[in-house]
Amino acid sequence: MAGLGGTETLGRKSRWAILDLVVVVYALVPVLWIMSLSFKTTKTLTDGNFIPREWTLDNYKAIFQTSEFVRALGNSIGIAIISTVIAVVLGTMAAYAVARLDFPGKKALVGVSLLVAMFPQVSLVSPLFEIERSVGLFNTWPGLILPYITFALPLSIYTLSAFFREIPWELEKAAKMDGATPAQAFRKVIAPLAAPGVFTTAILVFILCWNDFLFAISLTSTSASRTVPAALSFFTGASQFEDPTGSISAAAVVITVPIIVFVLLFQRRIVAGLTSGAVKG
Amino acid sequence: MAFAYLAPTLLVLAGLLGYPIYQLVLISLYDYNQEQVSGNAPLNFLGLGNYQKLLSDKQFWTVLAQTVGFAAVCVAGTLLVGTALAVLATRVRAVPRTLLFLAALGAWATPAVAGSTIWLFLFDANFGLVNEVLSGIGLHGMAGFSWTYGQWTAFGLVAAQVIWCSFPFVMVTLYAGIRAIPGEVVEAAALDGASTTRIARSVILPLLRPLLLVVTIQSIIWDFKIFTQIYVMTNGGGIAGRNLVLNVYAYQQAFAASEYGLGASIGVVTTVLLLAITVVYLRVLKRSGEVL
Repeated sequence: MAGLGGTETLGRKSRWAILDLVVVVYALVPVLWIMSLSFKTTKTLTDGNFIPREWTLDNYKAIFQTSEFVRALGNSIGIAIISTVIAVVLGTMAAYAVARLDFPGKKALVGVSLLVAMFPQVSLVSPLFEIERSVGLFNTWPGLILPYITFALPLSIYTLSAFFREIPWELEKAAKMDGATPAQAFRKVIAPLAAPGVFTTAILVFILCWNDFLFAISLTSTSASRTVPAALSFFTGASQFEDPTGSISAAAVVITVPIIVFVLLFQRRIVAGLTSGAVKG
Repeated sequence: MAFAYLAPTLLVLAGLLGYPIYQLVLISLYDYNQEQVSGNAPLNFLGLGNYQKLLSDKQFWTVLAQTVGFAAVCVAGTLLVGTALAVLATRVRAVPRTLLFLAALGAWATPAVAGSTIWLFLFDANFGLVNEVLSGIGLHGMAGFSWTYGQWTAFGLVAAQVIWCSFPFVMVTLYAGIRAIPGEVVEAAALDGASTTRIARSVILPLLRPLLLVVTIQSIIWDFKIFTQIYVMTNGGGIAGRNLVLNVYAYQQAFAASEYGLGASIGVVTTVLLLAITVVYLRVLKRSGEVL
């Protein structure tokens, strides 16, 4: 690896350490702050203390008692999982073709999928709104799943073909020469090699769908299909007269923390997935 | 053979992207308002009328300038923070490096809506930690100061949030790029007596240039499309729309003002602008020898 410079003085070291600390604070404090807010009681909510003086789970109890939030959470999970599965399956097929087969227009296909990834989603909102209303998909699960697949596919194809290029496909042939059937060669040799890439892509796609806000506010109108990011912007608290800050904080924590934990658990894979498109390993 | 694998993808893209784009262009050519949506008024073909109206509207140009300026600040900030941290990550030991990556990935993974809310609460006029700390260290004027009220503080606040959630990508990518530089190259330069700054400038920077270009253009594209942060943090584009950017403007025209035709024409203009940036991007990728 290319480490810069060999001899580090103590002073320089501590400067780096301080910089390191500043960054960690910049990245972490916002998330910790909202967690702190979510555990504060109504009385101490505005005291500005970083660590809550009185801890409470009331905010969480309150949001899980409103059907609005619980429905939204269910919608978020269901819609993101279904979109991810479909986008990854279709993406795997396309990426296999891109990585292994030669066909006319291959370059164009990758170019197109990049273009889709760059496409401003806002532009699609009005036409999709029109189309979905006329075919009855507005405010339904498929109404959100379909655009999610569209925008997840390019990411999925791009990441997967980067992974698939690294697979030693000769092994498949070797297995067949050793007497394995094509199905066996695929299941025993190729699938285990491809699985990490597919899994990583699935994580990235899931995060993309889970985090969407634009389609979620424009293509839904009731809690029948509204996901948490959209529901959050309509949040007014457990009762009409209550300050919603505590419940909003709790809701934000509920949709953020699982994703962060997930990302941290699979840190190395995600880093590999993020860089696969830009850096060639 | 290959076609069988590609057919589903092509079908999805044609149906769910191609057809809506066709619809978008079509709507942008009509006077398309609430009455037409509910079928109470006949469609009125305007040709390029919406575009004419848009380009002669002063607000459009203001919003366009704001979008470009806002994106420029976000891109510069993201690259600065991302690059500095990528270098930092190569210089610290394994434990602080892991900590750095974990913190960065946490920020990256936070949903945009939650991230926007988090930053709003952090800078809240009444109970925000930032005002609390600032007034605590003697800046008493900061107690109760509203960051979202002024046009510039609001843009600045949103930019800080955007940089917060986008620097990790730049950092992770450039870190991998620096790690991929063969150690011998750097060692050879050091043996020849080059200083650390010299090595950074004359050896590492040129080798990283293609990658820097890639992350720069990706950041431009990403920051040009910002929607959620502006929408949530400035409550739909700020007071009297002074924090609008193109995407939010298009959305407001179409959905809040029910001017679907006009909104669609803004969408077309944004798409064309992004397309231009993307074409440059593809050229860069090609030149840097990326196998697509």
